[in-house]
Amino acid sequence: MLGALDIGSLELGIAGLFVAAAGAVSLWGRLNLEKPLIIGAVRCGVQLTAMGYVLRFVFDVKSAWIVMGLFCLMVVFAVRIVKGNVKERQIPFVLTSFLVMLTVYAAISAVVTGVIVGTSPWWDPRYFIPLAGMVVGNSMTALGLSLDRLFSDLKTKQDQVEMCLSLGGTAREASQEIVTDALKAGMIPSINSLAGVGLVFLPGMMTGQILSGSDPMLAIRYQIVVMFMLVASTALTVTAVLAIVRRRCFGPAQQLLIRQGKRRE
Amino acid sequence: MCFEFDQVSFSWPGGRTILDRQDMALPEGVFAVVRGPSGSGKTTLLRLLNRLEEPISGEIRYLGRRLADWDPPQLRQQVTYLQQTPFIPDLIVRDILLYPFRLGVNSGKIPPGDEMLGAMMARVHLEEVGLDESGAQLSGGQRQRLGLLRAMMAEPRVLLLDEPTASLDRETRIVVEKMAMDLCRQGVTIVMITHDGFVPEQVPVAEVTIQHGQVTVCL
Repeated sequence: MLGALDIGSLELGIAGLFVAAAGAVSLWGRLNLEKPLIIGAVRCGVQLTAMGYVLRFVFDVKSAWIVMGLFCLMVVFAVRIVKGNVKERQIPFVLTSFLVMLTVYAAISAVVTGVIVGTSPWWDPRYFIPLAGMVVGNSMTALGLSLDRLFSDLKTKQDQVEMCLSLGGTAREASQEIVTDALKAGMIPSINSLAGVGLVFLPGMMTGQILSGSDPMLAIRYQIVVMFMLVASTALTVTAVLAIVRRRCFGPAQQLLIRQGKRRE
Repeated sequence: MCFEFDQVSFSWPGGRTILDRQDMALPEGVFAVVRGPSGSGKTTLLRLLNRLEEPISGEIRYLGRRLADWDPPQLRQQVTYLQQTPFIPDLIVRDILLYPFRLGVNSGKIPPGDEMLGAMMARVHLEEVGLDESGAQLSGGQRQRLGLLRAMMAEPRVLLLDEPTASLDRETRIVVEKMAMDLCRQGVTIVMITHDGFVPEQVPVAEVTIQHGQVTVCL
């Protein structure tokens, strides 16, 4: 590896001008977005710098416990973001999402690092943390989309669900179409990225590897693995969480609990 | 008895009491007409009978057996509820009518053929509607009658009808009421919400009144 060219503080400051340009657009268009823009830019800088120090520490210490602890923390933050993106508060889904995400992401990341990349140990933080981070980051968006779609469709399509139940349909039969739509809502973005990658956009990981001097063909092979990994993790996480959460939307009589405005116990 | 209520209470979370420790009994084979002011809980009463709602206390029995002991799909196959505005999926009329046969609870049952479906549709003055026509194109009144036919498809023992004549003109309303009375004569227990002064004829009638959390049955 040749290593990327260094970016000094002055150069970082110049990059900050891009944020200033966005702020100018906000002022000019009276968008009132200056404050969130400044807060966002500062958070971006602080969080990434902090993560840089954490990663440096984790890479130096090379402890499986610390790697797994950091991984758990990433999943905790991802679940918090999913919770923030889903409006429904009556049906519990946070703990389920956390446990499913933790299991699926750990299993997929371990297969990729241990079997496909072949690092030793499989949890080598230089590989495990960035790969797991990509899985967590991409799948959490899909999970948020799917859960939100499931809850909102069950509410808005109450008549459809209860028509089926009233005729003797099971909760599963009554919600099958809604669950399928919710699954698709979560999975289509990652399937679209499979089709668009390399043509419409160059993903960050590949770009980063190329910038740091890797052979583009090696960077591409890594990227292919990552894209496949993302599709699998999205599909498995969303399917498992929806299967569990769907049941909680129905009561012991297979009656719909989640409704517009009110919920029966 | 078809249905028995034993100290049944129901109220919405943080809201109105619909039923307050009510006892009631409804015999099999009757035509029960449910009346009461708007918001008194007529729809909720029907939904309690096939467990789309659950009482907060007390016990409801169907054919002497606690509702909670019935398998919910089996119960609802026997005690079928027709919504006030029936949901009609975007399918052709034949598929809408045969929808109950897609469900596991009716597996093994043989769906009626086109000739039988046509005859059933003629009974509710839907002979002008083709079986291959899209359900999305039907008027409110036609959808109401289609919903009623669909609810009858799997031959339930009890039909819970939530104002089935509300959106119908006088002539069609009489057709639907006659059909409900015919079903009752064939042994189907009918529980029907109505706002008008309809009184079933030549069938055993039960007048059910619900108001201020109290329900009374006059046979």
